[in-house]
Amino acid sequence: MRRLSYLFMALSAMCLATPLYAQGGGGMSHADWVAITSGFAMAIASAVCGIGQAKATAASAEALARNPSARPGITLALILGLALIESLALYTLVIIFAKVA
Amino acid sequence: MRLLVYHEVVLNRLEPDVRRQAASEAFYSRALPRIRRFMLGLAIPVAGFVLLRFGLKIALGFLVGCAIAYVNFYWLKRVVTALADKVTATGECPSSAGVVLRFLGRYLLMAFAAYAIFKISPASLYGLFAGLFLPVAAVLCEAGYELYAALRHGF
Repeated sequence: MRRLSYLFMALSAMCLATPLYAQGGGGMSHADWVAITSGFAMAIASAVCGIGQAKATAASAEALARNPSARPGITLALILGLALIESLALYTLVIIFAKVA
Repeated sequence: MRLLVYHEVVLNRLEPDVRRQAASEAFYSRALPRIRRFMLGLAIPVAGFVLLRFGLKIALGFLVGCAIAYVNFYWLKRVVTALADKVTATGECPSSAGVVLRFLGRYLLMAFAAYAIFKISPASLYGLFAGLFLPVAAVLCEAGYELYAALRHGF
């Protein structure tokens, strides 16, 4: 039983020895990291802009339903808000394009 | 007689406020057409500057970006108007699928134009991206104009 526990301890110690599993010389280059982080950045920007547009649209629809006489002001604010939120995603796309290309 | 005098005094006091409010509402209701005019007014001189500074390809990309941004803004306005019609149950009451398709069609247009320009001339893509920011510049111009009008006319 004691031998078995020694064996398991040795095996667990070997599992902790991460250099054993380290890759050789062919690691990830700078360009690979730029591509990966760009993908994540675009995904986050798109998601956040989508949430922002959804919240703006929902709020304006609710406001229109409550007070239809305020329609001109609400639609103007919604159009400008949606256009500016979209431009935020475009900023991210431009930065990514400048970094990747 | 006293009542008549009182009414005249009150109306004379209220009339400038009512007039000012009506003028203010009329001024702000013209914001969207003004933004579209700002877009047109900005696109041509900036395209000329880009042509002189960066060359023909980037200027063409910028003009294509401006055209897409203009169409994009116009479609956005139509989509929001259709949505408002839908919510308030006025106007033609368009179908929900049509509204969603029009909203998504703007992104397809942008993606298709960017892909086509990227395939034809990757350098023009910078111009295209710059052109896509035309509505932001127009909104900033409108904000400046509204600030000027508020300070000058008290809207």
